[in-house]
Amino acid sequence: MKRPAIGFAGMTHLGLVSGVSAAEKGFDAVCFDPDTARVAALAGKELPVSEPQLDQLVAKNAARLKFTSTPADLKACDVIYVAPDVPTDDLGRSDLTPINDLLERVFGAARDDAAIVVLSQVPPGFTRGKQRPGRILHYQVETLIFGRAVERALQPERYIVGCADPLQPLPAPYRAFLEAHDCPILPMRYESAELAKISINMCLVASVSTANTLAELCEKTGADWSEIVPALKLDKRIGPQAYLAPGLGIAGGNLERDLVTVCRFADELGTDAGMVRAWIANSLHRRDWALRLLHDEVLSKIDDPVIAVLGLAYKQDTHSTKNSPSIALLSALTSYRVRVFDPVVPGSVAPNPRCVGAKSELEACEGADALAVMTPWPQFARLDPRDIAGRLRGKAVFDPYGVLQGADCRAAGLAYHTLGVRS
Amino acid sequence: MIAHAHTEPRKPARVVLLGASGFIAGAIAGRLASQGIAVLPLGRPVLDLTNPEAVAVLSGALRGDDAVVVLAALTPDKGRDGATLLKNLTMMNHACAALEKTGCAHLVYFSSDAVYGLGPARVDEDTPAAPQDLYGAMHLAREMMARAVPKAPVLILRPTLVYGTQDTHNAYGPNRFRRTAQKDGRIQLLGGGEETRDHIHVDDVAALAARCLMRGSTGTLNVATGRSVSFATLAEMVARQFPNRPEIVKTPRASPVTHRHYDIINLVKAFPDYKFIALEEGIARCQRESLG
Repeated sequence: MKRPAIGFAGMTHLGLVSGVSAAEKGFDAVCFDPDTARVAALAGKELPVSEPQLDQLVAKNAARLKFTSTPADLKACDVIYVAPDVPTDDLGRSDLTPINDLLERVFGAARDDAAIVVLSQVPPGFTRGKQRPGRILHYQVETLIFGRAVERALQPERYIVGCADPLQPLPAPYRAFLEAHDCPILPMRYESAELAKISINMCLVASVSTANTLAELCEKTGADWSEIVPALKLDKRIGPQAYLAPGLGIAGGNLERDLVTVCRFADELGTDAGMVRAWIANSLHRRDWALRLLHDEVLSKIDDPVIAVLGLAYKQDTHSTKNSPSIALLSALTSYRVRVFDPVVPGSVAPNPRCVGAKSELEACEGADALAVMTPWPQFARLDPRDIAGRLRGKAVFDPYGVLQGADCRAAGLAYHTLGVRS
Repeated sequence: MIAHAHTEPRKPARVVLLGASGFIAGAIAGRLASQGIAVLPLGRPVLDLTNPEAVAVLSGALRGDDAVVVLAALTPDKGRDGATLLKNLTMMNHACAALEKTGCAHLVYFSSDAVYGLGPARVDEDTPAAPQDLYGAMHLAREMMARAVPKAPVLILRPTLVYGTQDTHNAYGPNRFRRTAQKDGRIQLLGGGEETRDHIHVDDVAALAARCLMRGSTGTLNVATGRSVSFATLAEMVARQFPNRPEIVKTPRASPVTHRHYDIINLVKAFPDYKFIALEEGIARCQRESLG
């Protein structure tokens, strides 16, 4: 069988990474977006997102990638993924308007025999509500991880496919595309697949929330969470890949969206969401870890201190600041002088009128009374604590993710604080 | 969570204190006066809020640009029964009726941590109110009455256990421990004193209230230090103030151990530079002041 042509509609993070990864797998990929400016930028290899490998793969697979804002170009496609990022508001509620609009465009442009696949994160019931006679519609779970999106698209663990009737075989071109990735394919009804996506995220949140809850207890009891984690990962019921790294709550937007969705459905249907609400509360509680310590160690002791902040993105290898703990910290420090550095995000996004963007990590540290390392960018780990100590005016270092070596920091005379262990 | 109406502190035109003869009100009055803020203290016998005539008296005294701080209440030592509850509600009703007539620039209601139940050990402003007695129910009802005053920007303050030299109450805690240590040479714990509580010095309460008044803060704020200690630890702190160490006596436990911790992150966000009087320091200060 001739290799099917694959379409991708919506050239934001998910659609772009998916299209480029399909091309890398040897498929012709038609990458459609109604925004002509966005398409022109992509054609000029200006990418709107930062992901490892993405720039190189766009250049490498240029011959198989077609960026277009002409809907008719989708006629060439046997399978069309509808994959716009679904935005969320400050409360984590999805705005489905963009995907509704795009799906209508795709239905209008695609051949009748083309399989249309919703790839965006949608609530249970969405896909069945979009079914129409004579058309082929599926939902497929995306498991994009910011900073690992390309890797995950090229080497998926499994495909979860929502179907109108899971007993019916998948369309041949769609199956051929999925089988090219050499992983299990799990067809199920639409609603199960939509809820499977949420279920995956809830399990991750449960692990992270457990880690955060117990890491905080470690900070009070003298235990060290980093000593406990290996023991947990050797437990087969927990596993080596479990999300057990403590952090500053849930960020990025996608997990928060599912937390809100579960609460909304539970409220509508009368099921219990108390545990989910506890996760949300715990997430907000831990987000303020650095501010609590800053208050205790610096803000309540020094008049008009200068604070250095490394990192603005909500995690490493991404430009996203959605629900970023760093942004939350900076919004609480508006009356203080702050110097900030992030390798990707400009200092101008900081919600702080007294914040100045520095050109380097050490420039941010110059003369500061305290340092907070708020994003675990790998390059921060290469900083020598002696250089940091030489630039700081004060001693306090708040490094929640343990990017720096605690022992080296202490040896350099710094007062080092990290998650999961008593300072 | 509270919001500040003023980005920079500014003096209120005048602060009217209702319940001015009380322990906390006295500290607030002193604090405000030291900052050059005009204060009108109103307490009994000038203003008896249980009397219906208080509405006319108070509305005659108030100006529309006043910041009004309501501290007037019959405390639990005056009674925990239904009659006390009704008197307290009547007092608030009269205060609100006067405020409705005159308006005010800022209304600060001093509530209590008694609005929270004993279930959750860790509380913040989002913890659902679940009063366990009529005193807590009274404060919760009065919070609602304050919020219902038309057009008034309202701040609810919920202080934890307050201590200070001038405290006339003899509640279980620093004040009673210090007095019994002085008088009897002993401190008596309930059980082993295992319960943990957050104790705040009255000067911190006054300083924070003053900050809220200067910033026109609205919302709900717990007034606590964020540090809880057991009563046994507290007794040790008090005992260290005496050259002849008082005896610390444990008694058979009559009720289950409960704990209370405050998550004060909202206070930190509201006033990031605020430095509390450490409990050890506060107790030492009380001791020095009581000895003259």
